[in-house]
Amino acid sequence: MEVDNKTFEDTPNSEPRTPNSPETHRIVITGLGVVSSIGVGKETFWENCLRGVSGIKPIQGFDVSSYRSRLGAQLPEIDFKAFIKPTNLRRMDRIGKVVVSSVRLAMDDSGLDLKEENSGRVGISIGTGLGSSDTVDQFFRSLLKDGPLGAAPMLFQTAVPNAITSHCAIEYGIKGVNITFSHKESSTEMAMTFAYHLLKEGRADVIFAGGGDELSEPLYHVYSMLGALSPGRGKGAEGMKPFDQSRNGIVLGEGSGIIILETLEHAKKRGANIYAEMAGAGLSGSTDGLLRYDFKGDSIARSMTLAAAEVQTVDYISAAANSTPDLDEGEALAIKKVFGKRGKEISVSSLKSMLGEFDGSGGIRACGLALSLYHGIIPPTIGTEHPDPRCDLNVVIGQAKKKEIRSAILNSASNGGSNISLWFKRYRSS
Amino acid sequence: MKKRVVITGLGVVSAVGNSLPEFWSSLIGGKDGTKEITVFDPSSYRTKIAAEVSGLDAEAHFSKKEIRRLSRCDQFGLIAFREAWRSARLDQNSHDKERVGVVLGAGSGGILSVEKYFRDYYQGSKKSSPSLLISYSLATTTDHIAVESGLKGPRTTTATVCSSSSASIGVAYEMIQMGLADVMVTGGSDSLCEVSYSGFNSLKLVDPENCKPFDKRRQGLVIGEGAGILIIEELEHALRRSAPIHAEFLGYGICADAYHLTAPEPNGEGVERVIRIALSHGGVSPEEVDTINAHGTATPFNDIAETRGIKRVFGERAKAIPISGIKSMVGHCLGSAGGIEAVATVMTLEAGIIPPTIHYEVPDPLCDLDYTPNQSIKKNVRVALSNSFAFGGNNVCLVFKKFSSEQ
Repeated sequence: MEVDNKTFEDTPNSEPRTPNSPETHRIVITGLGVVSSIGVGKETFWENCLRGVSGIKPIQGFDVSSYRSRLGAQLPEIDFKAFIKPTNLRRMDRIGKVVVSSVRLAMDDSGLDLKEENSGRVGISIGTGLGSSDTVDQFFRSLLKDGPLGAAPMLFQTAVPNAITSHCAIEYGIKGVNITFSHKESSTEMAMTFAYHLLKEGRADVIFAGGGDELSEPLYHVYSMLGALSPGRGKGAEGMKPFDQSRNGIVLGEGSGIIILETLEHAKKRGANIYAEMAGAGLSGSTDGLLRYDFKGDSIARSMTLAAAEVQTVDYISAAANSTPDLDEGEALAIKKVFGKRGKEISVSSLKSMLGEFDGSGGIRACGLALSLYHGIIPPTIGTEHPDPRCDLNVVIGQAKKKEIRSAILNSASNGGSNISLWFKRYRSS
Repeated sequence: MKKRVVITGLGVVSAVGNSLPEFWSSLIGGKDGTKEITVFDPSSYRTKIAAEVSGLDAEAHFSKKEIRRLSRCDQFGLIAFREAWRSARLDQNSHDKERVGVVLGAGSGGILSVEKYFRDYYQGSKKSSPSLLISYSLATTTDHIAVESGLKGPRTTTATVCSSSSASIGVAYEMIQMGLADVMVTGGSDSLCEVSYSGFNSLKLVDPENCKPFDKRRQGLVIGEGAGILIIEELEHALRRSAPIHAEFLGYGICADAYHLTAPEPNGEGVERVIRIALSHGGVSPEEVDTINAHGTATPFNDIAETRGIKRVFGERAKAIPISGIKSMVGHCLGSAGGIEAVATVMTLEAGIIPPTIHYEVPDPLCDLDYTPNQSIKKNVRVALSNSFAFGGNNVCLVFKKFSSEQ
């Protein structure tokens, strides 16, 4: 048999570079890509975030008149041609375009030139709760209407949850690690955890990590039928108001966020700008029920403790709080469990108050957290007027707050009970 | 130092058996699980067959109330999980539930339930219960397992469809390496549904007769369903509680073709890379590999690309490595394919028997390896690979080794 030696030379070396002490790499965040309801690109996003601009508006694009809820945080019209080759745009559905655009934005932000990289050592790790929910729905409706012969192969191949990740790999020739996670509200945090761990062990140089979700009509219907949407069955006003006494469910949002994670050596070698360091990830499960959050806070407390090796340096928590009675209280309990007295002093903010809640929100929130560490400023929680005494934390309400942050935690918690915390530190060279 | 990770429990639901012993005896006996579909009406489809799970008495496992809330996918997953859990003696030994997690792979998940709801909804009927929509998330089966048994360790779900439950085993392994868990429940579950059946049909990737991997007459896959669950465990933890050890999990590779949304890279370059990454991560040389559980979907392109990839890694020796294509018997179980095949691979190491590729009659000159045609063979195997490749060129390769207490 002919052996193609050239390919062997090109084969990535996945052997840990320091096999006897694999856990020696420091991992840094060098690029941010944001496609959000409050801005496309990190600049607009960050400016609006600090001003407390809400992405929440009456739903457009489908009829919600038969629902109790009216609101959503939808993306603006986006000219995807600015990010994706027109020939490739045709085979992508909307969420595919959104995620690929966020990868493009992150790449441009970091100055990473993939032509200069060993493509086998560049990876992508994506989280999405429901991926192409709209495409799946279109496919199913065509099946109902026209029978199996009406089923369109083009729709099916983009309907699989990993299509969004494949689009990115194909678009940019990313040949290393490639994985897609789908576990409700902790999907993207898992994607970042996996990327972080592989980089730490030296099994890749650079990994695009994060992901997102779209707000589609079938998804809105499902959330409504499961009773998740504000205002629920109550009489209160509809809206996101994390930690507020009158919080009554979520407002759905959409978007995608990507952070570029890379080993410090690699980032230094190419002279990359470093936003922050990723220094830990903690995962734990709660088992209170299929649709229940960790309302007692034990599991979220455990995930924070596992993530942050030095809890005494944590100055800010980007909260998972999503304006549901259970999660906001559970997270508050968890913070007080982990930090004791200091639990009431540490600054807490929920970016979901502006972005709405969606499974893949963690990518965008991670971009926000990296910017907080970089600039020393914490975005506000909006919509919260009457803080719940049971959530007696130092919530940054209404106005952004300047603060030097040594380290910070990004929390996520899924209904059903997968709780993941990530620990980011301000980058210091030594 | 990497922690050593072993497999201490196995559970299966499949078209050829709803328990591990039944599954394994069917596999080595070359039994085909393909039959006419009953879970939905296939009469308007070009093909009418699938490797459907049959003879499973849900009421023997669940209460009536539970049955209403559990999708077919959840039921398979829970039944296979309970078998694996018992066989690992985790029901008897004490352990810290905060150190036991669950990572499953998903394909279409509980879409069969969601389809039922939306079929009624779109036809203007409100008779379907919204509780069917609990299955809308691919995380549902994973959460059911954790909630049922109070497992408070790390939990997530991989969603790369045809390679999901191989990827999940890799991710579960990392949870142990990260020090977040001692024991992980992993593998996957998936059930037939119309969306995936019609989807693969629309791509003309389904064989109307049966699944014939690597045979020249092959026309595509036969969709299957079921669950393959493995309990993986840090070695010291397993030894301390005297757990049964079936095999060792050495490592895995995961990478992308970055080539096409559905077709594999035709020269096997992606397959070669993923096997090399897996061998390197597992610390074994190509010479040590004794058998390969192929992805072997029986689509014209996959089987050629996989054969080429194997030859690129193993050179001349490729022809001396027996390969199994068990999708010929259990079908392509999508989200649970990797889990079910991992169970088969572990059993191959433990029993020293390599299951056959059935329906193999006409050799294809482009697929010229030893596919263990039609008859299982006895062979003492020490290192075995299990391949899984998904749409978009999402490749995973797992490396297992016969367990010996010495490294």
